[in-house]
Amino acid sequence: QETGTAFGDGGADPDAPVEIDADRLSVDQESGVAVFSGSVRIVQDTMRLGAARVRVIYTPGGDRIERLEATGGVTLVSGEDAAEAERADYEVEAGRIRMSGEVLLTRGETIVAAERMDIELETGRAELSGRVRTVLQPGGDE
Amino acid sequence: CGFAPVYGPGGAGRTLQGQVAVPAPETRLGYHFTRRLEARLGRAEAPRYRLEAPLTVEREGLGTTADGRTTRYQLLGRADWRLRPAAPGAEPVAEGRVRGFTGYSSTGSPLAARAAERDAEERLATLLADRLVERLLMSDLGAAAP
Amino acid sequence: QPQDAAAAPAILVADTIYLEGETRLIAEGGVEVVQGARRLEAARVTYDASAERVAIEGPLRLTDGDGAAVLIAEAAALDLDLRDGLIRSARLVLDRQLQLAAARIDRRAGRYTVLTDTAVTSCQVCARGRAPLWQIRARRVLHDEAARQLYFDGAQLRVFDVPVLYLPRLRLPDPTNRRARGFLVPEVRSTTQIGAGLRLPYFIPLGPHRDLTVAPLLSPETRTLFFRYRQAMRRGDLMLRGALSSDDLRPDRLRGYLFADGEVALGRGYRLTFGLKTTSDELYLAEYGVTDTDRLQSEVAISRVRRTGVDTARLAYYQSLRAGEANATLPSLVLDAARERRVALPRIGGDLRLFADLHAHRRASDRDGVGRDMARLSAGALWTRAWTGAAGLRFGLTAGLRADGFRVRQDSAAAPRAAVVTPAARATLRWPLLRRRAGGARHLLEPVAMVAWSGGSRPDVPNEASTTPELDTANLLALSRFPSADRQERGWRAAGGLRWRRVAPEGPDVGLTLGRVWRREAEDAFSATSGLDGRRSDWLLAGELDLAHGLDIAARGIIGPQFDVPRAEARARWRTERLDLSATYLLLEKDAAEGRDDSLSEWGLDGRYRLTRHWTGSAGYRYDLAQDSAARADLDLVYTNECVAVRLSASRTFASSVTLEGSTDFGLTVALKGFSTGDSAKEDRRRCN
Repeated sequence: QETGTAFGDGGADPDAPVEIDADRLSVDQESGVAVFSGSVRIVQDTMRLGAARVRVIYTPGGDRIERLEATGGVTLVSGEDAAEAERADYEVEAGRIRMSGEVLLTRGETIVAAERMDIELETGRAELSGRVRTVLQPGGDE
Repeated sequence: CGFAPVYGPGGAGRTLQGQVAVPAPETRLGYHFTRRLEARLGRAEAPRYRLEAPLTVEREGLGTTADGRTTRYQLLGRADWRLRPAAPGAEPVAEGRVRGFTGYSSTGSPLAARAAERDAEERLATLLADRLVERLLMSDLGAAAP
Repeated sequence: QPQDAAAAPAILVADTIYLEGETRLIAEGGVEVVQGARRLEAARVTYDASAERVAIEGPLRLTDGDGAAVLIAEAAALDLDLRDGLIRSARLVLDRQLQLAAARIDRRAGRYTVLTDTAVTSCQVCARGRAPLWQIRARRVLHDEAARQLYFDGAQLRVFDVPVLYLPRLRLPDPTNRRARGFLVPEVRSTTQIGAGLRLPYFIPLGPHRDLTVAPLLSPETRTLFFRYRQAMRRGDLMLRGALSSDDLRPDRLRGYLFADGEVALGRGYRLTFGLKTTSDELYLAEYGVTDTDRLQSEVAISRVRRTGVDTARLAYYQSLRAGEANATLPSLVLDAARERRVALPRIGGDLRLFADLHAHRRASDRDGVGRDMARLSAGALWTRAWTGAAGLRFGLTAGLRADGFRVRQDSAAAPRAAVVTPAARATLRWPLLRRRAGGARHLLEPVAMVAWSGGSRPDVPNEASTTPELDTANLLALSRFPSADRQERGWRAAGGLRWRRVAPEGPDVGLTLGRVWRREAEDAFSATSGLDGRRSDWLLAGELDLAHGLDIAARGIIGPQFDVPRAEARARWRTERLDLSATYLLLEKDAAEGRDDSLSEWGLDGRYRLTRHWTGSAGYRYDLAQDSAARADLDLVYTNECVAVRLSASRTFASSVTLEGSTDFGLTVALKGFSTGDSAKEDRRRCN
């Protein structure tokens, strides 16, 4: 009975191209891991990710990005929703982002704080866990 | 034989004489209580102590005769007292409870019973005041430095 | 739920939260929603902003500010403010006392709670399934939070699950309702004169400051309506109590009584108090157990009491209820007015007391002697001063002058007018000595003495009010021991006494007083048993003993020359955590002058003992050794736990001056706690074992 569409309003397409820009880039030859640092900005369709440092792990074939590890204070924005956390792991293939460490999600008027958040980009389902706290806005006039 | 006069040098009598502010009365019995305390402790101009002694009095009917008349009443009095230095908010230096009762007969006419009741009230006030003064004179207060 | 803060935002905490779409939030695992002072705990909460519903899956527990459970349920579907909606198989708790268990609860408009298939009780429900002591089952209960009322449909009272009473409709005030209109606790009473009856008080609040309670007494012998009206005013209060009866004891007339009591502050320290009493006939008050007094005293008084003086004015009216005592010869109307001022004298020191008082009384009868009317006017001044002399001696000097004028009518045996001027002087001596023992014990020894002289000769005036004088430790050194001014002590007299007292940090606090009065000429106005007659008074002996653990005894008596004891009174009080026992002994020898035709030697006992946590028994007993007959006995048994208070009382008076053959009263009250009628159900809570 999943209602509603994906995370954010339009729903980010997990197969869209990923653009990354940053101040610096360094590549580790044998492991093929690229490390962007210095106000890194990643854009994929309607989703944008900002972080201090991002490690990009490519698929063994080296042609597609398998995983992104963003650390040093991550912000994630999509449509009305915005999330912050200390770290984010984006498994591009699976279309799932796990944010952890002081997670703060804002969706419309609802603000939720937790230790961990798992988002499925395709369904938009977000699961926050670890002593989650939120404020329920009262109904309309009463 | 170890007895020293209370109003002798260094005794509690001198320390307290004219130094205790007595509570203002609210009832007729309270008035006689205050009057007696001031007669015994002297009226205080610049008191070093303040006395708080709320009075409670109960009346109990006794002496029920064969035809069911109550012929004797007893006034049971009690005062929980506290003596504080005059400075506002000071902690009490002495406290206690004095108790006493006086009796009167109601076998005469209503006039006699009424007069006897008022006399019993005055006697109770005097008894409680005397017991309170006695207790103050026996406390270690006397030895406190003036 | 009680009306909470106006829709305050609720903070939600949980182990896991799922967000689905824009408006759905699902919280799972240890979910807590805190809104103002209220906290909701549940297993799972689904919050759907667009549907404006909150679905809660239990076990769900709502607690109020200080943690007391207000609602426990299996599931609920509420609005976003968590106030209105449907709750399933819930137990609602009102004011921590009253539990309402229901299959379904509907909340509407934040004010009404409708419970269906309900069981209401304030009793402790320990094991599941065991029926509480009492419960009210109902098809439907409506709780109106604003009006604080509970409306039952198809109510059935069950005691130990046995249906006892069925009421199609029942209304009870909820526990937070202090002034609810409605029935108070009914009482079953039976007295010898009017037999058994049910007294059903109904309370009607008339605004916040006034109320009226009417209590019909349903009994085969009498149709009676008791009533009580109370009014609190800004400057005082008023209470009217009374009753109207038509009964088989006096079928020919309407009977009843009315008492009015009140107090009003008049400003500038003056206070008006009044107590007016009237009844239709002498026997009514005793027969209906209102009071067993044998004289009705009505009075109106104005008084002001200050540190420097007292002013009182009082008008009293007496009505005798005593069998065979005619009203006409009773002083019916009595006026007293008195003023006293105290002034400190600057130069010569000491205290000057100025006083003036007026007394007048009238008897309806005009027959000579028994119909006597009398008036008195007195005025005077009294100066006293005290010094400390050598060796700690305390001297006191008193000098005074008073004048008394009398006016007597309808008594040929007395002078119609009389007056006397009484100069008086007194010297007193106190020598308090203190000894300190090791361990903090202190002994006081205080010899006291006084010498007094009063002039003037006794006016030829009847002794109306000084017929019952007393000698005790308080007036041992007094100038005059007569209770009223129509008699004065005159001539030379002296008194001496010794006071001893022991006080210790632990151990008993003991006191003893011995005293005696000597007189140059006997004062024949003193009654024989007062101990003050003759040239040497009886010995006064008084003592008090205060033991640590709640036991204190006080006694006083006078001992005649042949070691006879004309008067003695003793009181003992023993109080422990569960026992409160007081015993009295009273010995009054026969003395016609004091209006006592028989000797009295009476034991009195009043005890209250907490038998168990819930049972308390109390008993009172008076036995006169001289007459070898009991005078009064009463017994009281009270069972109280968290949800019921049962009181069984029985009292027997063996004879009353009014009804002359005594009466036995029985009373039974059963109060269901938890509604505002009974007392609070929070004390005496039984424990689940």
